[in-house]
Amino acid sequence: MEKTIHKTLPCGIEFGCVELPDRHAVAIEFRIFSGTAHEPDDKLGVARLLQETIDLGTENFEGRALSDAFDEIGASHSGWVGREAAGYSCFVLPEFVERAIELHAEYLRRPTFPEDKVSVAIDLTRQEWSALHDDAQSLADKIIGAQAYGKYLGRHALGTPESLEKLDRKSILDHWTNTYGAGRMQVVASGAIDADRLADLLEKHFGGYGSPSESGRDIFEVEFDARRIHHDKEAEQQQIAIAFRGTSLDRDDYPAQRVMLGVLSGGMSSRLFTEVREKQGLVYWVSAWGEYPRGSGMIFLGASTKPDRCHETYDTLLREVDRVGKDLTDEELKRAATGMVAKREMQGDMTRSRCGELADDLFHFRRPRDRREKIERIKRVTVKDIQNYLDAHPRDALSVVTLGPRRMEGTEVADGTKTEGVTA
Amino acid sequence: MSDPYTLHTLDNGLRIVIETMPGVNSAAAGFLARTGARDETRELAGVSHFLEHMCFKGTSKRDWHEISVAFDDLGSMYNAFTSADRTFYFGWVPQNQISAQIEILADMMRPAIPEEEFAMEKKVILEEIAMSKDSLEHVAFEFVLEKVFEGHALRWPVLGYDDTVGNLTRDQLHAYFESRYAPDNMILIVAGNVDPAQIIGQAEQLCGSWKPSGELRKRVTPSINKGSASQVVSRFNQQVIAMNFPAPGGSDPMHDSAEAATAILGGSNSRFYWNIVQTGLSPHAGAYRLDFDDCGLTILSAQTDADDDGLNKLVDAMRKEAHAICTEKVRDEEVQRVKNKRRTTLAVEGESPYHRLVQIMDDVDYRGAPRTVAQRLESVEAVSADSIAEFYEKYPIDTDGFFISVGPREWPAGSN
Repeated sequence: MEKTIHKTLPCGIEFGCVELPDRHAVAIEFRIFSGTAHEPDDKLGVARLLQETIDLGTENFEGRALSDAFDEIGASHSGWVGREAAGYSCFVLPEFVERAIELHAEYLRRPTFPEDKVSVAIDLTRQEWSALHDDAQSLADKIIGAQAYGKYLGRHALGTPESLEKLDRKSILDHWTNTYGAGRMQVVASGAIDADRLADLLEKHFGGYGSPSESGRDIFEVEFDARRIHHDKEAEQQQIAIAFRGTSLDRDDYPAQRVMLGVLSGGMSSRLFTEVREKQGLVYWVSAWGEYPRGSGMIFLGASTKPDRCHETYDTLLREVDRVGKDLTDEELKRAATGMVAKREMQGDMTRSRCGELADDLFHFRRPRDRREKIERIKRVTVKDIQNYLDAHPRDALSVVTLGPRRMEGTEVADGTKTEGVTA
Repeated sequence: MSDPYTLHTLDNGLRIVIETMPGVNSAAAGFLARTGARDETRELAGVSHFLEHMCFKGTSKRDWHEISVAFDDLGSMYNAFTSADRTFYFGWVPQNQISAQIEILADMMRPAIPEEEFAMEKKVILEEIAMSKDSLEHVAFEFVLEKVFEGHALRWPVLGYDDTVGNLTRDQLHAYFESRYAPDNMILIVAGNVDPAQIIGQAEQLCGSWKPSGELRKRVTPSINKGSASQVVSRFNQQVIAMNFPAPGGSDPMHDSAEAATAILGGSNSRFYWNIVQTGLSPHAGAYRLDFDDCGLTILSAQTDADDDGLNKLVDAMRKEAHAICTEKVRDEEVQRVKNKRRTTLAVEGESPYHRLVQIMDDVDYRGAPRTVAQRLESVEAVSADSIAEFYEKYPIDTDGFFISVGPREWPAGSN
């Protein structure tokens, strides 16, 4: 029988667990409020460097020995850094959960950040920066993110070439001391696990890890830059990225936004796929998606096309967003909602998806949310709800980036100093 | 545990493979067409992939929009892909929609190929080719195939070339369809909480009238070239190095040993990771396997923006690791760690009908029969330090393979 638990442990960890006794594995995620937005202004890139180096040496293990210890229990583990948090996730067979918790505690609590490993990590990050410029779509994502979110939320995990010069072991250690600790952690698990036993294990291994007081959960403001900027780059295709402000996950009109995105870019019958690709053959790739820092929401449209078709593609993207408010049909709405509901149900078969879903609930809502209720909210959205949503969030301010060989009419040319490596 | 498989073949040769997964709430279905880029001529390079797109563009029963709507009305997660060996169409749906899902997929397997949609889709595919040229990884991968398999159809890019896709006619594509999408060259695969008898009955009704061709696909095993080549692409920052060596194919009994050997050398927590990435020589360095029906490649690859000296050090380090693993038996604990990770991965993959569908497709196409998760695990457990040593003895990677360099610089000097 499925059971969901949510509580704050004495050590300060906010803990959530979905017991799924018929599964054969356990997924665990440690989420720490230490994202790129938390970096000191002069230490951009430090959050990711911390995440990259935290398991490369601890008080009791050399980096390779720690990785071997994870492999000995067959744990599949990885880390990431986002705008507002860092995450460490693990998938393991039930008999190895205790050892997995021990090993996570070892590197999260007792990292030594060996000088030689830090030095290599900084050099590798510099090379990652160079590699990012070999991937036009990722580069466009980075540029539109900076432009749409602004100073804090718009930071890229790789930092900047200039900021990397200022990073060293001490900056990583300081950042770890200031932003890692039980009071800034959410730990979520799902699968064949007893929640009480896991809570006891977490308390045992993380008790005394920094202050148990809750901290680091301030919401960062979006500093939206409504400009249209072209970045020159030699390439076969032109990248188009458009951003405008939407609603946040915790607002009542979020389900309407979610369904609108499904209408625009759900399956192959969605409007962007149909109008941009199928009817005009302008692109292979086109998409619309939402991003949700806590307290805000941002809608993105993206496409890549040959430079001489950039204008046509751009105009079609915007036309279709505007048209949703005018001629949306009940059938389209129902189809988009059906897709979302079905995906949620199918992904429920996967233990890792259930863990991620609960982690997102705690991150955004501070509580587990009933899965049926989430589905019902999507099903209840009407055409009128979407029209109301669009009225409340007019697309009167757009942030636009084009990246490629051809400047689009109406765009400013990027200042070379801001494009950071893109040929101007 | 009882055998979860139901195997059946229709009179026209269409094979059906069903895995029943009683504990899940969803089901997945797919049609495998046993044809791919290696079955094309140079003139028709890209036709398999083009046909894959055209199967979504209309049938005698539905136009392209009706196909998309039909999928989306089910809440399906669906797509298709083409490789050198095969083309696969699939959909993953809530359990109660599997019958409708199979009906749509079966309908698509008899595409109408409307002339106007053919012309429109050509534009889309030319955009896809353009997009691939903006990816350093893709450019390097295509160059590897072009050189390693020069003289053989495995050198074609799956997407085709600008000129072959641009010049392809609707009639050529239709003729290719007629010759390759006969039921005796196709397999219907289903996984999930399903009733096998109901599926077989539905397949008989939907596909029973398809005409078999009686022709088995004819493939020539390639010889894998040795040598070196470089390609200068000035708009990229990084230089990709790839050393390529013959390896067993997807159906070879050595397959699992090859997988483990490659993971120890160049997977996560591998020798490459600690001795190349973590020494700062390259942000991305690894060993990979490329499986084909009858052959394979081991690819050692890395990238860097370093100067000549840095590139030389990187290549020396890669060669040193390759030599070490070929001449000194791997340690038992290294093998065990790889097996432990695989055990967890298999537990994860066994949860979802979609993942099982893809695994069954692989097993059925390459090995002729599906394997349960437990059987896959048995194969992994049979790998040992000795079997890895045998693998490297038969498929050494410290000899002359094919050395590839792609990036902004002509390196090694004079190699272009």
